[in-house]
Amino acid sequence: MIELYQIIAIIVSIIVLILSILRFRDGKMSLGMLMVWIVIWLIIIIISIYPNDTNYLASYTGIGRGLDFVLIIGLILSFYLIFKMYNKMEVIEEELTDLIRELAIQNKNTDNKDKMEDKVDLDNKTE
Amino acid sequence: MKIFVVLPAYNEEKTIEKVLKDLIDIGFEIVVVDDGSVDGTFSIVNRIIMEKKTGLLCRHIINRGLGAALKTGIEVALMEDPDIIVTFDADGQHDPKDILKVSKPIINDEADVVIGMRNFKEMPSSKKIGNRIMNFITLFFYGINVNDSQSGLRAFNRKAAETIIINARDYGVSSEIIGEIKRHNLRLIEVPIKTIYTNYSIKKGTNTNEGLKILAKLIMNILK
Repeated sequence: MIELYQIIAIIVSIIVLILSILRFRDGKMSLGMLMVWIVIWLIIIIISIYPNDTNYLASYTGIGRGLDFVLIIGLILSFYLIFKMYNKMEVIEEELTDLIRELAIQNKNTDNKDKMEDKVDLDNKTE
Repeated sequence: MKIFVVLPAYNEEKTIEKVLKDLIDIGFEIVVVDDGSVDGTFSIVNRIIMEKKTGLLCRHIINRGLGAALKTGIEVALMEDPDIIVTFDADGQHDPKDILKVSKPIINDEADVVIGMRNFKEMPSSKKIGNRIMNFITLFFYGINVNDSQSGLRAFNRKAAETIIINARDYGVSSEIIGEIKRHNLRLIEVPIKTIYTNYSIKKGTNTNEGLKILAKLIMNILK
């Protein structure tokens, strides 16, 4: 007996899988990240098709019901991803700062003349 | 003795002109870092530098915070072969005469870094709480107890300026500098300085809110 939630989960998973593959083809996602997402969404599809099989995992790990097991794992994974993203953002912030500082040092006292307010026009500033 | 004064400035058009002119008239070498100001700070500083024919001006095209601005300023000053580098707030809260006061222990080779400590008794209570929290945080995270960890008036000799590595981008930089002093076993002296409180300078800088933000940031740094 297939429930509605199973169908929805499968459809959503397939859509996201396709989107991931398209992004990879456009060069907007790394191969490693694509693999991670494929694995995650395939697991979700499998769980949706055979929801009762998670009961094995649940009893094996000592977590009561199958669905609880899935939710807990999902939460842990989500937090891990947020953590990764935070770190990545910090790195990007730092790189941006380095870039801005380097630009400032190279252009010291050179943008004295005109275009004081023109922030966009960076290329023509160095002489 | 070549004393370079580094002035980080973010939207300081109301005060920077007087501060800058005072410093130049005394005869200090100046490095202004405009940290992505969106007001007239850059053009005012630019005009004064052209008029007085002295001083260096760097501009962060995007605001990157006090720490980043100090780092840029110190790096630029170090290219000019300085003996002493002094950091100085651009909001007009410091007395230019205090620059000599904080430089003196370095000239006498008694210290590598001098921090100008403000008088907490004179400090408005909104700022006192924030500064007390920051002193405690500095003690807790870096294990060093100072009277005023958040002071913007500091003097470094050349060796100290070259050794200290700044990573913090925002106001956390003041504590980080003190941590670096300890890490590299630099000699630190604190000297009392005057603080000029105006309504303008009270609004800026370390208040309770900013103190809490820095605390959150430091905890994040540990979790990383």
